[in-house]
Amino acid sequence: MPASGIGCLHRAGRGPEVPTLSHPARLGLYLLAVVAISFVHDPRGLALILVGALLLSGAGRLRLLLRALRVVLAILLLLSAGFLLMGWLTGQPVVAALVLINLRVLLLALLTAWMMRAVNLDRALVHWPQAQRWLVIVRGQIQLFRRLAQDYRYAQRSRSVLPPTLRERYRGSAAIGLAALDKGVHNADLVTQAMRSRGALHD
Amino acid sequence: MHIPDGLISPQTYLPALAVAVPLWWWAGRSFRRQVGDEVLPRLAVFTALAFLLSSLMLPLPGGTSGHAIGVGLLTLVFGPWVAFLAYTLVLVLQALVMGAGGITALPVNALAMGFVGAFLAYGLFHLLRSVQIDLAVVVAVFVSILASALLVALVLGLQPLIAQAPDGSPRFFPFGWAVTVPAVLVPHLFIGVAEAALTLLIWRHARKRHWLLASGGQGA
Repeated sequence: MPASGIGCLHRAGRGPEVPTLSHPARLGLYLLAVVAISFVHDPRGLALILVGALLLSGAGRLRLLLRALRVVLAILLLLSAGFLLMGWLTGQPVVAALVLINLRVLLLALLTAWMMRAVNLDRALVHWPQAQRWLVIVRGQIQLFRRLAQDYRYAQRSRSVLPPTLRERYRGSAAIGLAALDKGVHNADLVTQAMRSRGALHD
Repeated sequence: MHIPDGLISPQTYLPALAVAVPLWWWAGRSFRRQVGDEVLPRLAVFTALAFLLSSLMLPLPGGTSGHAIGVGLLTLVFGPWVAFLAYTLVLVLQALVMGAGGITALPVNALAMGFVGAFLAYGLFHLLRSVQIDLAVVVAVFVSILASALLVALVLGLQPLIAQAPDGSPRFFPFGWAVTVPAVLVPHLFIGVAEAALTLLIWRHARKRHWLLASGGQGA
């Protein structure tokens, strides 16, 4: 956990003990903020909240902003270009609406990026052990699938001077996908057996 | 398409949330009944697969791309209630872990893709399985994807009508149905074909391995 973000606001640091917000509370705070911001329709208000959130997010705020921008930039560009074109064709003023929409989307993306940095989902789900276990296995499988796909891509690239055709890519993906599925189910069964043998499932 | 937060109005997502919460609760009951310690790991693997399918960009004619959904596969292996819940987890993971999609769009996406998609796929599969089982899988997945895409397009296109400033300018998603319906549906015609073929491949594999949860290993 970095010394910034939602955690930083209530961090004990070296001074007097200040209670740190728990991870479920941080997640709850984020969800409340997202809902509240969708009710704000004043661009100046949204801009102020955006600046405030950036200042409060602590060290690494630029990285946070870039991360948020990376997520929403394509859709905002597409949406803004289309809406500008529509405004130009119909002669309707669209800039104010575009500023409002862009600011809100960027602010919410920034809050999400901040939440992702400050909230540990495993800890946030501490009161729901089955959801926690599901999350652990799903995350593990996603990593496994990604690694296998990457290995396959590298293996295919190293064996051919020409890039694979679309047909080859689809056929290769199907083969690796089914192999990964078998491996994934086998691994997940092993994880469950290991957890059971250690008494983790006796809840 | 991942809809980020800020494009769906509270007039839409709050009622959608009110509908989704009791359905999630019911799905949770169904989940506890159907999914024991033996099935949970397999479900987690298929959930991860659905997550990757919905993150996977498929090249489409004309140089564009789109992503699959994966809820049809979950439905045909685990049944619609479990699929609905698992797909909701996929959406939550995409929003909270990857930062793709949004929390306010979650109930709309969960209902359109997770609930309608799952139950339509389930109904069509059972309707057509006596005709030809592979055809039933393909048609169920293809139609459920198109129906989900149409619902998302309708919800997006509704935004400028129900969430306007006093001067009539949109406060959330700015385009109406004339733009959203073709923009969302046309790419999903191609995505639907690709995902139906992919689902058939994986569903056959799951049947061979006896991983299908219900109906004596013959389907959802």
